[in-house]
Amino acid sequence: MNPSDKDKMSEKTLDAELVAQAKAGKMSAFELLVNRYQQRVANVIAKFIKDRHEIQDVAQEVFIKVFRALPNFRGDSSFYTWIYRIAVNTSKNHLVAKSRRIQNTQVEFEDAESFGSNEDYRNLDTPDAVYSRGELEQTMSKAISQLPEDLKQAIVLREVDGLSYEEIAVKMDCPIGTVRSRIFRARDAIDQAMRPLLSEQSTRKQHVR
Amino acid sequence: MSDKSKQNISELMDGELSNDCSRFLIKRMQSDESLQSSWNNYHMLRSCLQQEHDAPVMHNLGAQVIGQLNKEADFTESVETNHKSGWLKSLAGAAIAASVAVVAVFTFNQNQVTPGVEPLPIYAKTSEQLVNPPNAAMVRVEQPVRYTRYPSLTPQIQTYLTESNNQPQIPVYYNAEYANKIIIQTRQKAQQNIAEE
Repeated sequence: MNPSDKDKMSEKTLDAELVAQAKAGKMSAFELLVNRYQQRVANVIAKFIKDRHEIQDVAQEVFIKVFRALPNFRGDSSFYTWIYRIAVNTSKNHLVAKSRRIQNTQVEFEDAESFGSNEDYRNLDTPDAVYSRGELEQTMSKAISQLPEDLKQAIVLREVDGLSYEEIAVKMDCPIGTVRSRIFRARDAIDQAMRPLLSEQSTRKQHVR
Repeated sequence: MSDKSKQNISELMDGELSNDCSRFLIKRMQSDESLQSSWNNYHMLRSCLQQEHDAPVMHNLGAQVIGQLNKEADFTESVETNHKSGWLKSLAGAAIAASVAVVAVFTFNQNQVTPGVEPLPIYAKTSEQLVNPPNAAMVRVEQPVRYTRYPSLTPQIQTYLTESNNQPQIPVYYNAEYANKIIIQTRQKAQQNIAEE
Protein backbone atom coordinates (compact mmCIF):
# COMPACT_ATOMS: atom_id res chain seq x y z
CA MET A 1 0.00 0.00 0.00
CA ASN A 2 1.37 3.37 -0.98
CA PRO A 3 1.10 6.09 1.64
CA SER A 4 -0.72 9.24 0.57
CA ASP A 5 1.37 12.41 0.15
CA LYS A 6 -0.10 13.79 3.36
CA ASP A 7 0.91 10.70 5.32
CA LYS A 8 4.49 10.58 3.98
CA MET A 9 7.40 11.77 6.06
CA SER A 10 9.00 14.32 3.74
CA GLU A 11 12.80 14.60 3.59
CA LYS A 12 12.54 17.91 5.47
CA THR A 13 10.50 16.27 8.22
CA LEU A 14 12.95 13.36 8.31
CA ASP A 15 15.79 15.84 8.86
CA ALA A 16 13.79 17.64 11.52
CA GLU A 17 13.12 14.34 13.29
CA LEU A 18 16.81 13.37 13.22
CA VAL A 19 17.85 16.88 14.35
CA ALA A 20 15.39 16.75 17.26
CA GLN A 21 16.79 13.40 18.36
CA ALA A 22 20.39 14.62 17.99
CA LYS A 23 19.52 17.71 20.05
CA ALA A 24 18.17 15.37 22.70
CA GLY A 25 21.63 13.77 22.83
CA LYS A 26 21.17 10.75 20.57
CA MET A 27 24.54 10.54 18.84
CA SER A 28 23.34 7.69 16.62
CA ALA A 29 20.72 10.04 15.12
CA PHE A 30 23.44 12.61 14.43
CA GLU A 31 25.56 9.89 12.79
CA LEU A 32 22.66 9.11 10.42
CA LEU A 33 22.42 12.83 9.59
CA VAL A 34 26.16 13.12 8.89
CA ASN A 35 26.11 10.12 6.57
CA ARG A 36 23.07 11.58 4.86
CA TYR A 37 24.75 14.90 4.03
CA GLN A 38 28.46 14.00 3.91
CA GLN A 39 28.71 14.02 0.11
CA ARG A 40 26.81 17.25 -0.45
CA VAL A 41 29.02 18.94 2.14
CA ALA A 42 32.17 17.49 0.52
CA ASN A 43 30.99 18.79 -2.86
CA VAL A 44 30.62 22.30 -1.41
CA ILE A 45 34.09 22.16 0.21
CA ALA A 46 35.62 20.88 -3.04
CA LYS A 47 34.68 24.20 -4.70
CA PHE A 48 37.23 25.88 -2.41
CA ILE A 49 39.76 23.19 -1.59
CA LYS A 50 41.39 20.80 -4.03
CA ASP A 51 43.25 18.36 -1.82
CA ARG A 52 41.07 15.31 -1.06
CA HIS A 53 42.55 14.74 2.39
CA GLU A 54 41.89 18.34 3.34
CA ILE A 55 38.34 18.07 2.03
CA GLN A 56 37.74 15.14 4.36
CA ASP A 57 39.30 16.98 7.33
CA VAL A 58 37.28 20.13 6.66
CA ALA A 59 34.09 18.05 6.20
CA GLN A 60 34.73 16.52 9.62
CA GLU A 61 35.29 20.00 11.08
CA VAL A 62 32.04 21.22 9.46
CA PHE A 63 29.99 18.46 11.07
CA ILE A 64 31.63 19.00 14.47
CA LYS A 65 30.66 22.69 14.19
CA VAL A 66 27.17 21.63 13.12
CA PHE A 67 26.87 19.41 16.19
CA ARG A 68 27.95 22.21 18.51
CA ALA A 69 25.59 24.69 16.86
CA LEU A 70 22.60 22.30 16.82
CA PRO A 71 20.90 24.01 19.80
CA ASN A 72 20.81 27.21 17.70
CA PHE A 73 19.15 25.53 14.71
CA ARG A 74 15.52 26.62 14.85
CA GLY A 75 14.44 24.99 11.61
CA ASP A 76 13.49 28.27 9.85
CA SER A 77 15.55 27.18 6.85
CA SER A 78 16.14 23.61 5.69
CA PHE A 79 18.86 21.64 7.47
CA TYR A 80 20.91 21.47 4.28
CA THR A 81 20.74 25.28 3.74
CA TRP A 82 22.01 25.72 7.27
CA ILE A 83 24.93 23.27 6.96
CA TYR A 84 25.73 24.66 3.50
CA ARG A 85 26.44 28.06 5.10
CA ILE A 86 28.59 26.44 7.78
CA ALA A 87 30.49 24.47 5.12
CA VAL A 88 31.19 27.62 3.04
CA ASN A 89 32.39 29.62 6.08
CA THR A 90 34.54 26.76 7.38
CA SER A 91 36.15 26.29 3.94
CA LYS A 92 36.91 30.02 3.65
CA ASN A 93 38.33 30.14 7.17
CA HIS A 94 40.44 27.07 6.40
CA LEU A 95 41.92 28.79 3.33
CA VAL A 96 42.64 32.00 5.27
CA ALA A 97 44.31 30.08 8.12
CA LYS A 98 46.28 28.04 5.64
CA SER A 99 47.54 31.07 3.70
CA ARG A 100 48.68 32.55 7.02
CA ARG A 101 50.50 29.32 7.85
CA ILE A 102 52.18 29.27 4.44
CA GLN A 103 53.22 32.95 4.82
CA ASN A 104 54.64 32.19 8.24
CA THR A 105 56.58 29.16 6.98
CA GLN A 106 60.08 29.95 5.85
CA VAL A 107 60.58 27.86 2.70
CA GLU A 108 64.09 27.74 1.33
CA PHE A 109 64.42 29.01 -2.22
CA GLU A 110 65.66 25.62 -3.55
CA ASP A 111 62.88 23.76 -1.77
CA ALA A 112 60.28 26.16 -3.11
CA GLU A 113 61.64 25.69 -6.61
CA SER A 114 61.38 21.90 -6.36
CA PHE A 115 57.62 22.20 -5.84
CA GLY A 116 56.17 22.88 -9.27
CA SER A 117 52.99 24.37 -7.82
CA ASN A 118 51.24 24.94 -4.57
CA GLU A 119 48.88 22.14 -5.64
CA ASP A 120 51.71 19.58 -5.45
CA TYR A 121 52.78 20.97 -2.11
CA ARG A 122 49.30 20.33 -0.76
CA ASN A 123 48.78 16.86 -2.20
CA LEU A 124 49.74 14.70 0.73
CA ASP A 125 47.56 11.63 -0.03
CA THR A 126 49.21 8.44 1.13
CA PRO A 127 49.44 5.65 -1.48
CA ASP A 128 47.25 3.45 0.73
CA ALA A 129 44.51 6.06 0.91
CA VAL A 130 44.68 6.64 -2.85
CA TYR A 131 44.49 2.89 -3.46
CA SER A 132 41.53 2.25 -1.14
CA ARG A 133 39.66 5.29 -2.43
CA GLY A 134 40.26 4.20 -5.99
CA GLU A 135 39.12 0.69 -5.16
CA LEU A 136 35.92 1.98 -3.57
CA GLU A 137 35.06 4.23 -6.49
CA GLN A 138 35.95 1.56 -9.04
CA THR A 139 33.80 -1.08 -7.34
CA MET A 140 30.92 1.38 -7.13
CA SER A 141 31.22 2.43 -10.80
CA LYS A 142 31.44 -1.22 -11.86
CA ALA A 143 28.37 -2.16 -9.80
CA ILE A 144 26.39 0.75 -11.30
CA SER A 145 27.40 -0.15 -14.83
CA GLN A 146 26.35 -3.78 -14.26
CA LEU A 147 22.83 -2.83 -13.14
CA PRO A 148 19.96 -3.87 -15.44
CA GLU A 149 18.91 -0.95 -17.62
CA ASP A 150 15.52 -0.34 -15.94
CA LEU A 151 17.10 -0.23 -12.46
CA LYS A 152 19.91 2.03 -13.64
CA GLN A 153 17.47 4.44 -15.29
CA ALA A 154 15.27 4.55 -12.17
CA ILE A 155 18.18 5.24 -9.79
CA VAL A 156 19.74 7.87 -12.08
CA LEU A 157 16.39 9.68 -12.48
CA ARG A 158 16.06 9.70 -8.70
CA GLU A 159 19.62 10.52 -7.56
CA VAL A 160 21.01 12.56 -10.43
CA ASP A 161 17.90 14.27 -11.80
CA GLY A 162 16.21 14.46 -8.39
CA LEU A 163 12.77 13.38 -9.66
CA SER A 164 10.05 12.19 -7.28
CA TYR A 165 8.69 8.62 -7.49
CA GLU A 166 5.56 9.92 -9.21
CA GLU A 167 7.56 11.79 -11.83
CA ILE A 168 9.74 8.73 -12.44
CA ALA A 169 6.60 6.59 -12.83
CA VAL A 170 5.34 8.98 -15.50
CA LYS A 171 8.72 9.11 -17.22
CA MET A 172 9.20 5.33 -17.21
CA ASP A 173 5.53 4.66 -17.88
CA CYS A 174 5.07 2.20 -15.02
CA PRO A 175 3.16 2.05 -11.71
CA ILE A 176 4.64 3.89 -8.73
CA GLY A 177 5.04 0.57 -6.89
CA THR A 178 7.37 -0.61 -9.64
CA VAL A 179 9.42 2.57 -9.23
CA ARG A 180 9.75 1.90 -5.50
CA SER A 181 10.89 -1.63 -6.18
CA ARG A 182 13.35 -0.68 -8.96
CA ILE A 183 15.01 2.03 -6.92
CA PHE A 184 15.33 -0.29 -3.94
CA ARG A 185 16.73 -3.16 -6.06
CA ALA A 186 19.30 -0.86 -7.61
CA ARG A 187 20.45 0.34 -4.20
CA ASP A 188 20.47 -3.17 -2.79
CA ALA A 189 22.59 -4.48 -5.68
CA ILE A 190 25.20 -1.77 -5.00
CA ASP A 191 24.97 -2.47 -1.24
CA GLN A 192 25.72 -6.16 -1.83
CA ALA A 193 28.63 -5.32 -4.14
CA MET A 194 30.16 -2.89 -1.62
CA ARG A 195 29.80 -4.93 1.58
CA PRO A 196 32.80 -7.30 1.13
CA LEU A 197 35.08 -4.37 0.25
CA LEU A 198 33.88 -2.19 3.13
CA SER A 199 34.17 -4.99 5.71
CA GLU A 200 37.70 -5.72 4.38
CA GLN A 201 38.56 -2.03 4.78
CA SER A 202 37.21 -1.84 8.32
CA THR A 203 39.23 -4.98 9.22
CA ARG A 204 42.33 -3.35 7.72
CA LYS A 205 41.68 -0.18 9.76
CA GLN A 206 41.30 -2.22 12.95
CA HIS A 207 44.64 -3.95 12.26
CA VAL A 208 46.34 -0.59 11.75
CA ARG A 209 44.92 0.67 15.10
CA MET B 1 17.25 -8.22 8.14
CA SER B 2 14.33 -8.54 5.73
CA ASP B 3 14.15 -7.03 2.26
CA LYS B 4 11.07 -5.16 3.45
CA SER B 5 13.12 -3.31 6.09
CA LYS B 6 15.74 -2.43 3.49
CA GLN B 7 13.11 -1.24 1.03
CA ASN B 8 11.68 0.90 3.84
CA ILE B 9 15.13 2.49 4.30
CA SER B 10 15.27 3.19 0.58
CA GLU B 11 11.85 4.86 0.73
CA LEU B 12 12.67 6.71 3.95
CA MET B 13 15.69 8.45 2.46
CA ASP B 14 13.56 9.59 -0.49
CA GLY B 15 10.75 10.91 1.74
CA GLU B 16 8.37 8.25 0.42
CA LEU B 17 7.63 6.33 3.63
CA SER B 18 4.68 6.95 5.92
CA ASN B 19 5.20 8.98 9.10
CA ASP B 20 4.56 6.08 11.48
CA CYS B 21 6.82 3.65 9.63
CA SER B 22 9.50 6.34 9.35
CA ARG B 23 9.57 7.02 13.09
CA PHE B 24 9.69 3.31 13.86
CA LEU B 25 12.48 2.72 11.34
CA ILE B 26 14.58 5.67 12.59
CA LYS B 27 14.39 4.16 16.07
CA ARG B 28 15.31 0.68 14.81
CA MET B 29 18.20 1.94 12.70
CA GLN B 30 19.88 3.43 15.75
CA SER B 31 20.20 0.04 17.38
CA ASP B 32 20.59 -2.24 14.34
CA GLU B 33 24.03 -2.17 12.74
CA SER B 34 22.90 -3.97 9.62
CA LEU B 35 20.18 -1.38 8.97
CA GLN B 36 22.69 1.41 9.63
CA SER B 37 25.06 -0.18 7.18
CA SER B 38 22.34 -0.25 4.50
CA TRP B 39 21.53 3.41 5.24
CA ASN B 40 25.22 4.27 4.83
CA ASN B 41 25.70 2.25 1.65
CA TYR B 42 22.52 3.61 0.03
CA HIS B 43 23.79 7.10 0.79
CA MET B 44 27.22 6.19 -0.54
CA LEU B 45 25.60 5.25 -3.84
CA ARG B 46 23.88 8.64 -3.75
CA SER B 47 27.27 10.23 -2.97
CA CYS B 48 28.90 8.50 -5.91
CA LEU B 49 26.16 9.56 -8.31
CA GLN B 50 26.09 13.13 -6.99
CA GLN B 51 29.86 13.51 -6.71
CA GLU B 52 31.05 16.86 -8.10
CA HIS B 53 34.11 19.07 -8.36
CA ASP B 54 36.69 16.33 -7.76
CA ALA B 55 35.36 15.72 -4.25
CA PRO B 56 36.29 12.34 -2.84
CA VAL B 57 33.50 9.80 -2.38
CA MET B 58 32.60 10.13 1.27
CA HIS B 59 31.90 7.00 3.23
CA ASN B 60 30.75 6.75 6.84
CA LEU B 61 32.08 10.15 7.88
CA GLY B 62 29.48 9.97 10.67
CA ALA B 63 31.51 7.35 12.57
CA GLN B 64 34.63 9.56 12.36
CA VAL B 65 32.75 12.64 13.53
CA ILE B 66 31.16 10.80 16.46
CA GLY B 67 34.59 9.35 17.35
CA GLN B 68 36.12 12.84 17.32
CA LEU B 69 33.28 14.29 19.42
CA ASN B 70 33.66 11.46 21.95
CA LYS B 71 37.43 12.05 22.10
CA GLU B 72 36.88 15.76 22.75
CA ALA B 73 34.27 14.97 25.40
CA ASP B 74 36.74 12.61 27.14
CA PHE B 75 39.45 15.28 26.96
CA THR B 76 37.16 17.97 28.37
CA GLU B 77 36.11 15.61 31.14
CA SER B 78 39.73 14.86 32.08
CA VAL B 79 40.61 18.58 32.02
CA GLU B 80 37.63 19.31 34.26
CA THR B 81 38.68 16.53 36.65
CA ASN B 82 42.22 17.95 36.78
CA HIS B 83 40.79 21.42 37.30
CA LYS B 84 38.56 20.09 40.11
CA SER B 85 41.45 18.23 41.77
CA GLY B 86 43.55 21.44 41.54
CA TRP B 87 40.71 23.34 43.16
CA LEU B 88 40.44 20.68 45.89
CA LYS B 89 44.19 20.91 46.49
CA SER B 90 44.02 24.69 46.98
CA LEU B 91 40.95 24.26 49.20
CA ALA B 92 42.81 21.70 51.32
CA GLY B 93 45.74 24.14 51.58
CA ALA B 94 43.39 26.90 52.69
CA ALA B 95 41.78 24.57 55.26
CA ILE B 96 45.19 23.72 56.72
CA ALA B 97 46.10 27.42 56.87
CA ALA B 98 42.78 28.18 58.60
CA SER B 99 43.34 25.38 61.16
CA VAL B 100 46.79 26.75 61.95
CA ALA B 101 45.27 30.23 62.38
CA VAL B 102 42.56 28.90 64.74
CA VAL B 103 45.18 27.10 66.86
CA ALA B 104 47.23 30.30 66.98
CA VAL B 105 44.20 32.39 68.04
CA PHE B 106 43.27 29.88 70.77
CA THR B 107 46.81 29.80 72.11
CA PHE B 108 46.97 33.59 72.07
CA ASN B 109 43.59 33.93 73.85
CA GLN B 110 44.53 31.36 76.50
CA ASN B 111 47.58 33.43 77.31
CA GLN B 112 45.39 36.51 77.69
CA VAL B 113 42.97 34.97 80.21
CA THR B 114 43.95 35.85 83.77
CA PRO B 115 43.17 32.97 86.12
CA GLY B 116 40.42 33.75 88.65
CA VAL B 117 39.07 36.72 86.71
CA GLU B 118 35.80 36.20 84.85
CA PRO B 119 36.05 37.47 81.30
CA LEU B 120 33.39 39.99 80.40
CA PRO B 121 30.66 38.82 78.06
CA ILE B 122 30.51 40.47 74.67
CA TYR B 123 27.05 41.53 73.54
CA ALA B 124 26.04 41.33 69.94
CA LYS B 125 26.28 44.84 68.54
CA THR B 126 25.67 44.31 64.86
CA SER B 127 23.17 42.22 62.91
CA GLU B 128 26.04 40.08 61.68
CA GLN B 129 27.14 39.37 65.23
CA LEU B 130 23.62 38.15 66.00
CA VAL B 131 24.36 35.23 63.70
CA ASN B 132 28.13 34.82 63.94
CA PRO B 133 30.37 35.16 67.00
CA PRO B 134 32.60 38.27 66.99
CA ASN B 135 35.74 36.13 66.87
CA ALA B 136 36.83 32.53 66.55
CA ALA B 137 37.40 32.00 70.28
CA MET B 138 33.87 33.05 71.22
CA VAL B 139 30.81 30.87 71.71
CA ARG B 140 27.21 31.95 71.40
CA VAL B 141 25.08 31.66 74.52
CA GLU B 142 21.36 32.50 74.30
CA GLN B 143 20.27 34.71 77.20
CA PRO B 144 17.16 36.66 78.16
CA VAL B 145 17.35 40.43 77.80
CA ARG B 146 19.00 41.96 80.84
CA TYR B 147 17.93 45.52 81.54
CA THR B 148 20.37 45.88 84.44
CA ARG B 149 22.66 47.32 81.86
CA TYR B 150 20.46 50.39 82.00
CA PRO B 151 20.60 51.49 85.67
CA SER B 152 18.97 54.83 84.86
CA LEU B 153 15.61 53.07 84.31
CA THR B 154 13.32 52.89 87.30
CA PRO B 155 12.72 49.42 88.82
CA GLN B 156 9.05 49.62 87.76
CA ILE B 157 9.98 50.20 84.14
CA GLN B 158 12.57 47.41 84.30
CA THR B 159 9.97 45.02 85.71
CA TYR B 160 7.46 46.08 83.10
CA LEU B 161 9.97 45.57 80.31
CA THR B 162 11.04 42.16 81.61
CA GLU B 163 7.47 40.96 82.01
CA SER B 164 6.20 42.26 78.68
CA ASN B 165 9.26 41.13 76.76
CA ASN B 166 8.32 38.47 74.17
CA GLN B 167 11.21 39.15 71.87
CA PRO B 168 13.62 36.36 70.98
CA GLN B 169 16.59 36.03 73.20
CA ILE B 170 19.62 38.09 72.31
CA PRO B 171 22.75 36.01 71.92
CA VAL B 172 25.69 36.91 74.10
CA TYR B 173 29.20 35.74 73.32
CA TYR B 174 31.61 34.44 75.92
CA ASN B 175 35.16 33.26 75.69
CA ALA B 176 34.91 29.59 74.75
CA GLU B 177 37.11 28.42 77.64
CA TYR B 178 35.07 30.45 80.15
CA ALA B 179 31.77 29.10 78.81
CA ASN B 180 33.06 25.51 79.09
CA LYS B 181 34.24 26.20 82.64
CA ILE B 182 30.79 27.55 83.61
CA ILE B 183 29.05 24.53 82.07
CA ILE B 184 31.36 22.11 83.94
CA GLN B 185 30.91 24.03 87.20
CA THR B 186 27.10 24.03 86.80
CA ARG B 187 27.11 20.26 86.19
CA GLN B 188 29.40 19.66 89.16
CA LYS B 189 27.12 21.79 91.41
CA ALA B 190 24.07 19.89 90.18
CA GLN B 191 25.79 16.57 90.91
CA GLN B 192 26.81 17.82 94.37
CA ASN B 193 23.23 18.93 95.11
CA ILE B 194 21.91 15.52 94.08
CA ALA B 195 24.54 13.78 96.27
CA GLU B 196 23.70 16.01 99.26
CA GLU B 197 19.99 15.38 98.87
